[in-house]
Order: sequence, then structure tokens, then C-alpha cells
Amino acid sequence: MMRLKTKNAIKDTVVSIIAIAIGLIIIFPIIYCVCGAFKTESEFLTPNLLPGSFSYTKNFSDALRKGDLLRYIGNSFIVAFFGTLIRMVLSILAAYAFAYFDFRFKNVLFFLILGTMMIPGDVLLATNYLTISKLHMLNTYFACMVVSFVSASQMFMLRQRFMSVPRDMREAAQIDGYGDLSYLITILIPICRPVITTLFVHSFINLWNAYLWPLIVTASKPAMRTIMVGITKLNSWEDENYQLVLAGVCISLIPSMILFIIMRRNMRKGGMEGSLVG
Amino acid sequence: MKMKTRKNLKVLLFLLPILLFAVVFVYYPFIRNIVNSFSLVNAKGEIRGFAGLENYRYTYGRKDFPQALKHTLLIAAINVPATLIITISLALLANKRRRLSPLYETLFTMPMSVSMSAACMIFKSMFSPSVGIINYVFGLKIGWFESKETALAACLILTIWMGIGFDFLLMLSALRGIPSHIIEATRVDGISPLRRIFRVQIPLISPTIFYVFCTNFVLAMMTSAPMIIIMGVSAESSATNTLMSMMYQSGFSSSDYGLAAVLSITAFVLTLGFTILSFVFERKRVHYQ
Repeated sequence: MMRLKTKNAIKDTVVSIIAIAIGLIIIFPIIYCVCGAFKTESEFLTPNLLPGSFSYTKNFSDALRKGDLLRYIGNSFIVAFFGTLIRMVLSILAAYAFAYFDFRFKNVLFFLILGTMMIPGDVLLATNYLTISKLHMLNTYFACMVVSFVSASQMFMLRQRFMSVPRDMREAAQIDGYGDLSYLITILIPICRPVITTLFVHSFINLWNAYLWPLIVTASKPAMRTIMVGITKLNSWEDENYQLVLAGVCISLIPSMILFIIMRRNMRKGGMEGSLVG
Repeated sequence: MKMKTRKNLKVLLFLLPILLFAVVFVYYPFIRNIVNSFSLVNAKGEIRGFAGLENYRYTYGRKDFPQALKHTLLIAAINVPATLIITISLALLANKRRRLSPLYETLFTMPMSVSMSAACMIFKSMFSPSVGIINYVFGLKIGWFESKETALAACLILTIWMGIGFDFLLMLSALRGIPSHIIEATRVDGISPLRRIFRVQIPLISPTIFYVFCTNFVLAMMTSAPMIIIMGVSAESSATNTLMSMMYQSGFSSSDYGLAAVLSITAFVLTLGFTILSFVFERKRVHYQ
């Protein structure tokens, strides 16, 4: 019995070590990026992975100043935050209507919204670009976020969550004189806070990371670029300057890394709820 | 009666915002795409008459179209199985909870926090022929982005890497969701671990595998960012085009919206077709408990 236990412990240790080694290979690009960001220009030409010292921060200040990344970070924050906010408001309102109201064409409208999931956004790029340019909204924050306002999967998750709240709660609130909107804001949203927070974080990361659409709608005005577009403009084939690029990439990764760590913590506490939404 | 109209008005207020944006930015452009593909469209995107199948003939007859189609299908054909094999293996490795589990689970999932364009820039640097670490570590002297094959290989490695994090999480939670008495039973019966994996665990998580298969397939068919970011927009770079990056490179840069519409629709129809096919297959092979 004792021998079996030690045998298992040894096996676990060996497997753990193998797993960590594989894990390090998987995150190697991230390690490489962080190390590269601290290298001087001449260090970058040597094949060493580690930089001379981690206190060399000229690349970061250069990226922020020369690449105008500070401005782009601001743009990204505005787009990701307000885009997510509007997306959440739309999804919550629709989810509430589908969870609590009965009306004609309910199923048709429900599937009309869910149907948006069937069409990949990339397919619509060209025509959406034309719409935005016809509305004279190219190079605006609104243009950068507008295609993300509809999230059927989010609406669906919220509806499921709302439906799991006992209906008696709403009836009791109605007797106490709550209207639908005040019930939604003062009671339902606080109850469903965990799901809403998860969806908010997830959606923020998605909008922060978006690339192709912001690239297209801000093409003619560099000051409106988001950070993800900005970092790709830090070098060119002629002037490779990779240490600057990697510093820019590191900066762009900070928000999603922080949220990733928070998300990992929550997941270990509370299962996978909400992490499935795209 | 008055009550009823008031109630309908309220429903309308709750639903109108999302419906408005769904119609204007999803359904209208989708239908407009179809219409555009059969029309003469000028550089401002205005329709200037009926073109029949002319746009399709022009697009499919272009020299770069067969290449773009081939690359798109190739990426999907390699990316999807590779991601499945890697993430299932990782999930099997991490399945049992050990003391160091949180550490390596975090390492496995970390790629999901990296955005597409950030990953492209990192990989562009890693594969750089002069200063890149890949050539150094493996003792190669390849100009990765100079020839079509190696450039596509680099892009493939990149897209596979991007998918690892999230799909691993899904596989892991599916594996851990298998009731422990089933695994116990295989132990009691003395079934070999390999047999247990292929005959018990993988069939039991087949719904998740199917989900990962479909989502990955759609993503792979829409691959464009690596080609656009890493290869840039130029005549030579069109050698590595996929359907979607060809739409960006030829459609946008020359405002050829007829071409862009045909390429979008082609990508969409192919994706939908294969997805429907896999749903037919699903009925036979995927086990739901």
C-alpha cells in the first residue's frame, strides 16, 4: 500500500514536471516578447534570450512617444469600455423582454437575433464599411465599436440567467410598485452581478483585441487608431526595430493579462460559467 | 385595449435597440453583399446595374483566386485537427488534479490572453531571418517570409498557437465533467490507459470536441489577420493570400466591391456548407449522455 502511494507520488511529480516544461514551451512567445522588450538595439542582434538588464526601459518610452501609443491606448479604452457598455445595455434589455414578456412574433424575433451568430463578422466587412462611410462616420469612436453592439450569445446567456430568477420575485416587486425598468435596475441586475461582470470582462477583452475592423475604419486618420492597430505600425520591412515593437506589444497586453489573471481566479472558484461566450 | 398597446410599446422599447443594430449591421450588409455580387458596383459602393454572373466569372477567373482558395482550405485542414490533437492531449495530461495543477493550467491557457495582432508581431519577430530566435534555436537559415510555403507554415503555427488556450480550457472542463464512477469502473475492469482514453474518455467528451471543431473551423476559414499584418499589402505578398485577406487586399485597396462581395459570399457558403456537413456527421458519431 505504502509503495503504491510513493509510486503514485513519483508519477505525479514526473507528470507535473513534464506539464510545466510543455507549458513553458507554449508561453515561450510571451516570454520572448517580454525579454525582447528590455533589450538594447545591439543586444537584440545577439541570440541571447535574456536581456542585459530588466531596467532598460528606453524601448517602452520610445514606443509610447514615437509610436503615439499613449493616444492609441486612450482610443482603445474608449472603444472597449463604451462599446461593451452599450452592448451590455442592449443585451440586458432584450434578454429581459424575452425572459418576462409575452408578445406576438416572440419566437421569430428571438431567432432573428440568435441568427446573427450564424454570420461571421468578417464576411460583412466591406458592406459595413460602405454603410459607415455613407453615414460620414469614418474615423470616429462610434464607427470602431458599432459592429460589436449586437452580441446574440451574450443576450442568450443573460436570458437564461434571468429565467432562473423566480418569477414570484417580479410579481412581489410589482405589488410593491416597481415598474419593469426599476425592477430590472434595482433588483435583477444586482442579483445577476456575477454573470454580468464576467460578460463585461469578456466583451471588454474582445473589443480591446479587435484588429481588422478598427484598421479599416481608421485607415485615413492615424490619430484614431486603436492600440492593436498601432502596434502593427511600429516597424516596417526596411526598419525592423523589433525591440520597439515588442515593447509596444507588452504594453498592449497589460490590460488583457490583468483581466486574464482575475478570470483564472474566478474560474477556479466558480466553475466555467460565462467563460463559454464568444 | 389601451393597456395592450402600452404593453406592446414597452416590448418595442426593450427590443428595438438590439434589433435596429442587428438589422443595420448584420442582416442588411449580408443581403447587400448578395445583391452586390450580382451587380455592377462602382468604387463608391453604389449599384450601377445588373451584372448577372459577371462578378463571379471575373473573381473565379483571376489568377490569384485558386491560390487563395487553396490556402484557406489548407489552413482549415491543418489547423483544426492540429488544435484538436494538441488540446485533447494537454487536457488528458492535466486532467488529474495535482498540487502543481494551477501552475501548468495557467501556462496552457495563457495564449488566450494574447490578441491576434500582438501575436502576429511577436511571431513576425521570432521568425525574422536576421534576428529571429527560431532560426537560431533550430540552426536554420530560412527566410521564413520570403517563400510562400514557409510563410504559410509560420502563419499556421501562429493560428494554432492562438487557439490553444481557450480550447484547452473547454476540453479540460469536459474531461473533468466525466462522472468519476465511470473512470473507476474502467480501473476495476483493468482496461489499459490507452484503451480508456480512446474508448471511454474521448467518446464521452465528443460533444465538446464537436463544438471546438466547429468554432475552430469557422475561425480558420476566416483567417486573414496574419497575412495582412505579417506579409503586408503588396503585390508579392498576395502569394500567401487566403480568401479573406484577398478580399482585404484586392477588394479594399482598389475599392472593387463586386470582387469583395463575391469573395465574402464564397467564404461564407463554404463555411456554412462544411458546418452543415459536419452536423450530419455529428448525428452518427457524437454521443450525448
